[in-house]
Amino acid sequence: MTETQTIVPRKAFELVMLAPEDVRFEREGDTLRLTLSDGTHYPRVSLRSCFPVSGGPALLSVRDAASEEQDEIGIIADWSKLAEADRQAVSTELELHYFVPKITAVSKIKDEFGFLYWTVDTDKGPKEFVMRNSVVHYAREIGKNHWLIIDVNQARYEIPDVSQLDSRSQGLVRRFLLL
Amino acid sequence: MNTGDKQDLSKMPGAAPHVALPDSVVAAYRTQGGDMDELKLAVKSDLAPDGAFGEQWLMINRQDLWVLDRHNGTANVRYKLPLDQITDAKVERCVGNGLLQVTVDQKPQVLLHYSNDLIDRFGRVAYYLHDLAENGEQVAVPDPDADDHRCLVCGRTLVDRSTKVCPSCIQRGKIFKRLMALARPFWGTLLGIVLLMLAGVLVDLLPPYLTRILIDDVLKAGAKADLLVWLVSGLLGIQVTRVIITIFTNRMNINLSTRFTSDLRDQLFTHLNKLPIDYFDKNQIGRLMTRVNQDTSELQGLVSQITGFALNIMLVIGIGAVLFTMAPSLGLYVLIPTPLVVAAAYFYYRYMRPHFERFWIARWRLNATLNTFLSGIRVVKAFAQESLEEERYHDRNQKVLESRLRVDQAWSRFYPLISFAFNVGGLIIWYAGGRAVLADKITLGTLMAFLSYLGMFYGPLSNLTHISQTLNQFLTISQRMFEMLDEEPEKQVETPVQQPSLGGKIEFDNVTFGYDPYFPVVRDLSFTIEPGEMIGVVGPSGAGKTTLVNLICRFYDVTRGTIRVDGVDIRDLSMEEIRRQIGMVLQTPFLFQGTIAENIAYGKPEATLEDIIRAAKAANAHNFVTRLPEGYDTIVGEGGTGLSGGERQRISIARAILHNPRILILDEATSSVDTETERQIQEALEKLVKGRTTIAIAHRLSTLYNADRILVLNHGRLEEQGAPKQLMENKGKFYNLVQLQTQLSSLDGVVPAL
Repeated sequence: MTETQTIVPRKAFELVMLAPEDVRFEREGDTLRLTLSDGTHYPRVSLRSCFPVSGGPALLSVRDAASEEQDEIGIIADWSKLAEADRQAVSTELELHYFVPKITAVSKIKDEFGFLYWTVDTDKGPKEFVMRNSVVHYAREIGKNHWLIIDVNQARYEIPDVSQLDSRSQGLVRRFLLL
Repeated sequence: MNTGDKQDLSKMPGAAPHVALPDSVVAAYRTQGGDMDELKLAVKSDLAPDGAFGEQWLMINRQDLWVLDRHNGTANVRYKLPLDQITDAKVERCVGNGLLQVTVDQKPQVLLHYSNDLIDRFGRVAYYLHDLAENGEQVAVPDPDADDHRCLVCGRTLVDRSTKVCPSCIQRGKIFKRLMALARPFWGTLLGIVLLMLAGVLVDLLPPYLTRILIDDVLKAGAKADLLVWLVSGLLGIQVTRVIITIFTNRMNINLSTRFTSDLRDQLFTHLNKLPIDYFDKNQIGRLMTRVNQDTSELQGLVSQITGFALNIMLVIGIGAVLFTMAPSLGLYVLIPTPLVVAAAYFYYRYMRPHFERFWIARWRLNATLNTFLSGIRVVKAFAQESLEEERYHDRNQKVLESRLRVDQAWSRFYPLISFAFNVGGLIIWYAGGRAVLADKITLGTLMAFLSYLGMFYGPLSNLTHISQTLNQFLTISQRMFEMLDEEPEKQVETPVQQPSLGGKIEFDNVTFGYDPYFPVVRDLSFTIEPGEMIGVVGPSGAGKTTLVNLICRFYDVTRGTIRVDGVDIRDLSMEEIRRQIGMVLQTPFLFQGTIAENIAYGKPEATLEDIIRAAKAANAHNFVTRLPEGYDTIVGEGGTGLSGGERQRISIARAILHNPRILILDEATSSVDTETERQIQEALEKLVKGRTTIAIAHRLSTLYNADRILVLNHGRLEEQGAPKQLMENKGKFYNLVQLQTQLSSLDGVVPAL
């Protein structure tokens, strides 16, 4: 399936939309497989949310993970309209691909030699991470009170709403992110 | 669970000594028939199968690969794959995490995810699995945590990979020694500064002493009224001396810090010049600029600050001593408000700094907005988005206003507090001293002198509260710079094979290379280029064309395989020699600051003016150069005359012609110019190519019609090679590419079909 597309991308500029009835997803272990209604089978596909931050997960790019460039198979306009089993499979895959823990509480932030050492609770479990102490570059306000923090390993942590944190966490975040 | 009942894997090759397998994992592994003695590798992932933080283990023994997941103390085998079925393995980056994928039966299969903290570990595992699949069991087991990003002193993982030692391990003494060594040429100045400072302190101590005499002996008693004029003149003289001393100290200070840092900058630059290209890939240009420019100027500021500290220490000690000897009983009272002053200074740094920082950031963002707006003004107008930009600017400006107000409010709350702390000290002395004067224990003059000294005491004291912070900053910056100076220059063989002139034969023998070793960009490349041959390299972007060129120039060393030039391994040749024999014309020609003549003669400074003109003529550059008002003396590069892309390109071709290399590399040399210019450049190139081994990378296939041979690269592999005509007849990849371009070009009808 990749052979035909390696050097000369076929209609690379055309948008292919995939309707809910066109796709059948299934998970096998950590691998997401896809079969299209015309019978084409992809042993592994990967998913990219087109608007992971702003538009929610609705618009989804489905890509052939077996091809070197992960060529796009098509776009699903709204994956919440997929059949139940497909939706389950897609949701799990997105959960795994976009690993952006949401910070629920901050117990400590230490400032040392230009680095901030965070000790936090997230929706994925407790975590300690280190961030370069440069708010301009490594903390981004992506919405009102909505912050994205990028650590030294380029891992991302999200604070969906600073004002919803407990007062202690809020105090720490406000002080160190200079809010 | 204590480590005692865990399986110690430290004897296992490849396992980091600290890896201890939990009992439950060992048990699950054994239940499924695994033998601990045959275990070769066991690594932990920090993510659970559901994507939360958790624990999974990947184990490799002689026959199989296992993935186990461990939750609440029990472990389950998720996968068990026979190793001989795995034909490939790689890691893939997701968002905030990565995954390990293997290929079984030509089908990709994801094994597990891991957080970004473990990217290196699993990259090594994937590389090992890939190696196993290709070369079988004899492949050595790697240490998955052989981390080159560990602190050289304490061994912990480094957070800041731009240094090799973590900040808390910086050996302060050592750095100071090196700094002192660097400062050796300035010892004289340094001594002068210290002496001047001492003199300054002495002069500072005099006026209160004189006022004391003035009050006690002149004003109160009135007996020695004639002393008044002398004392006041003395005070005036002291002021004048003080001014002179300050001017000289500042002068010497500035002189010292400026010269010291400019010396350092020179050293850094000289060293940078010797570093290998991959150093510049690993360190973004911005970061290096910071290192050379900002760090040195920050160091300059810190040097002056540190001399300032020295002065303050002298003042505190000097005044302290005077206070205690003048009136020992009052001296103790001075100490009472000291904690208050120190605390106030500390709180200033703790609470006021963030306010200032917030204001600086807001102002920086405002400037950035203005900058973007001004550079994009045409776009703004063309899309009629003035109001949007106005709003954006207004928002940012509002933020600046708000943060400025917050600074002022915080300051207005803080300032009275800090002056209160200072004043309380004075009041205590007024009270205690007043009583002493009334009891005739000390004179009024002594009290007045005491109060003046007090005013001079608290200032320096509060300044000293952030001495450790400044020192740390100073040391960290110094460490960063020394590390850059310690960075190893390009690897050279000790005794390079002497090869007076290259013939120009290039052989690639099973070459594999990746900028990041886990992600090879070219794979198993083997081909030979004969001397004098012209080779065209084509393929889609990301196919590895430019990488190929980088390897020939030895900007990088191959990961595996060998590149030979005239039969000699490129690593055994002297780097300078290779590069002297290679000429390059790049897609975006780079002109240095200087005249056109200097630019053409860049690779051969000894060239005569006639040589330069001959080269320019051959490059079709002579005509336009002579039309310029300053001819060959025209200054180009930053701040110089603007030349068009085609003109710049022809100058860079002239440079290559004059350089007269055996091997010529043309990397998309004509891709960014119009058709007429392309024709002229093409003409110039034809002259240049004659008699040299030429490697031309091109997107426009029409420029390769006279190549002897074409190499078609795709995803780092050689897919096809042969004469253009032959490839067209074969109707393979090259044919497809040409067909595609002909279709596209028939739209604008400029590029002739092959």
